Amino acid sequence: MTDSVIFTEDLTKIYQGELGQKPTVGVEGLHLDVRPGEVFAFLGPNGAGKTSTLKLLTRLLMPTRGRALIFGEPVSDNRTMRRVGFVPEQPNLYGYLTAAEMLDFIAKIFGLPASVRKKRISDTLDRVGLAASGGLAVRTFSRGMMQRLGMAQALINDPDLLILDEPMSALDPIGRKDFRDLILDLKNRGKTLFFSSHILSDAELVADRCGILNRGRLVQTGILGDLLESQTGSIEIAFIPAGGRPSAEDLARFSFSEQGGNRVVRVTRPEDVTAVVAAVQAHGGRLVSVSPQRKSLEDVFMAEIGR
Amino acid sequence: MRILAVASNTFKETIRNRILVNILLFAVFLILLSLVVGEWSMGHQVKVIKDFGLSAMSLFGLLIAVFIGIRLMVQEMEQRTIYLILSKPIRRWEFVLGKYLGLAATLAVNVALMAAALWAVGLIQEGRVDLSLIPAILLIYLEILLIVAFALLFSTITSPTLAAVFTLCVYVIGHTTAFIREFITVHPDKGAHWLLRIIYLVMPNLENLNLKAAAVEHAALPPHAAAFGGLYGLGYIAFVLTLTVLIFENKDLK
Ligand SMILES: Nc1ncnc2c1ncn2[C@@H]1O[C@H](COP(=O)(O)OP(=O)(O)OP(=O)(O)O)[C@@H](O)[C@H]1O
Ligand SMILES: [Mg+2]
Repeated sequence: MTDSVIFTEDLTKIYQGELGQKPTVGVEGLHLDVRPGEVFAFLGPNGAGKTSTLKLLTRLLMPTRGRALIFGEPVSDNRTMRRVGFVPEQPNLYGYLTAAEMLDFIAKIFGLPASVRKKRISDTLDRVGLAASGGLAVRTFSRGMMQRLGMAQALINDPDLLILDEPMSALDPIGRKDFRDLILDLKNRGKTLFFSSHILSDAELVADRCGILNRGRLVQTGILGDLLESQTGSIEIAFIPAGGRPSAEDLARFSFSEQGGNRVVRVTRPEDVTAVVAAVQAHGGRLVSVSPQRKSLEDVFMAEIGR
Repeated sequence: MRILAVASNTFKETIRNRILVNILLFAVFLILLSLVVGEWSMGHQVKVIKDFGLSAMSLFGLLIAVFIGIRLMVQEMEQRTIYLILSKPIRRWEFVLGKYLGLAATLAVNVALMAAALWAVGLIQEGRVDLSLIPAILLIYLEILLIVAFALLFSTITSPTLAAVFTLCVYVIGHTTAFIREFITVHPDKGAHWLLRIIYLVMPNLENLNLKAAAVEHAALPPHAAAFGGLYGLGYIAFVLTLTVLIFENKDLK
């Protein structure tokens, strides 16, 4: 706990509804321990409580119960936030300012002296791919540009921890690639990242560890590699059958599919691999590939969420 | 530094606010119109113009409070900009105070413009600039600031529409506390007596900030009336802002 970057204990947010409404659970009994230098993906379906958690960590919400520490300090302490960068869900910035003015304003809040600000702003705009847009009014920004500017304002204080709420949601494929590169670059520089996401394929590419939240409760957390290996994956065998004939009856218990002229079968037991390969060769078919299927984060996610 | 950053940013934002510019133009128009109105009032032209002009400024304040003061924080929430700002190392009271001071600066510019219009009209009519209006104008500015503080307070606890209604109520009651007081003394046995007494105690007496009549008449002001009004206004503003901050401090930004 002493060297945790993010530490929460029984962190709970129950929304007290308006008069006559029932209270709703935002997040309940959350225990988290994010280590230094880690890229942590915080996953969960819509309404799972990701945003609620991130707002508790950035003191936008007051917890109903429990506590949250960042770098060992309570999040309510003003100084704690100096080392943190935060991008809210669908960030919005002051439309009447230019991108550079907006960043200057944020930099002033961090108390950066004028001598540092100018260079920091142009460097940061450059880093998020907005170098040419610094003089444009924020009001004219597209959704993706706004997401990038959101990232820029979070980087302006050179934070040691970045908390990002669905940072990739508005980005095109190029933007997502840029974003992944940025994450890895930050990780290489020893920063800690904590982000929520629905884009599991991207999370899988950058995260070291993930937590899966469902209905306000953490249902799974672990090293990504472990989670993906915990269930044995399947093995996919592709081949071209001789004369287009279906295989003999000794393969009848498998179900086949067609993929671009190849016949494909998926098996889970090693002895089935041997059987299929032998049968294909016995009938004069041509083997194309035998490839072990890695379990995807999506598989793990679906299993945990119970769908 | 942080308060200043928020204040100067809010100044930039509000000074170009279209509604505000429109209300300002309207007020200046009213002041210029007083030239015409003054024509009708035989012999009292100058007084009528000044009275009319000062009243236009006060009315301007009410409109500003309702249209801009209430939007000041509500807009931050609706546009979600507040999530970003308040996750930074800035305290909530610093943010509220910064927003308020930024708007106060914008209003100072506006009041100065209206005063300039009033003096221009005076120059045409009297051939001189009547500087004795300054205390009255300063107190009008304080009244505007107080009403805006109330608007800010109400907007943090209720919907914008209700906040506008409440702000309007404060303005009306604030200018009629003398009647309420009289009513209480004349009818001490009426049912709603205690309620009126509470209203009388809690609501500001905006007449303390009203030196219009005296300024216009060149009547001898009660000694220290301006100073008293100034302190009363500042004290009340501090009180309302403190209350706003206390409420805002633990508010969930959902
Ligand atoms: N302001 C609020 N008032 C009442 N309930 C709320 C409020 N905000 C969120 N909730 C409830 O809390 C739960 C968690 O919401 P939250 O926004 O944290 O989910 P999320 O994981 O971020 O979802 P998404 O992926 O859709 O962004 C939901 O059931 C939601 O209805
Ligand atoms: Mg969310």
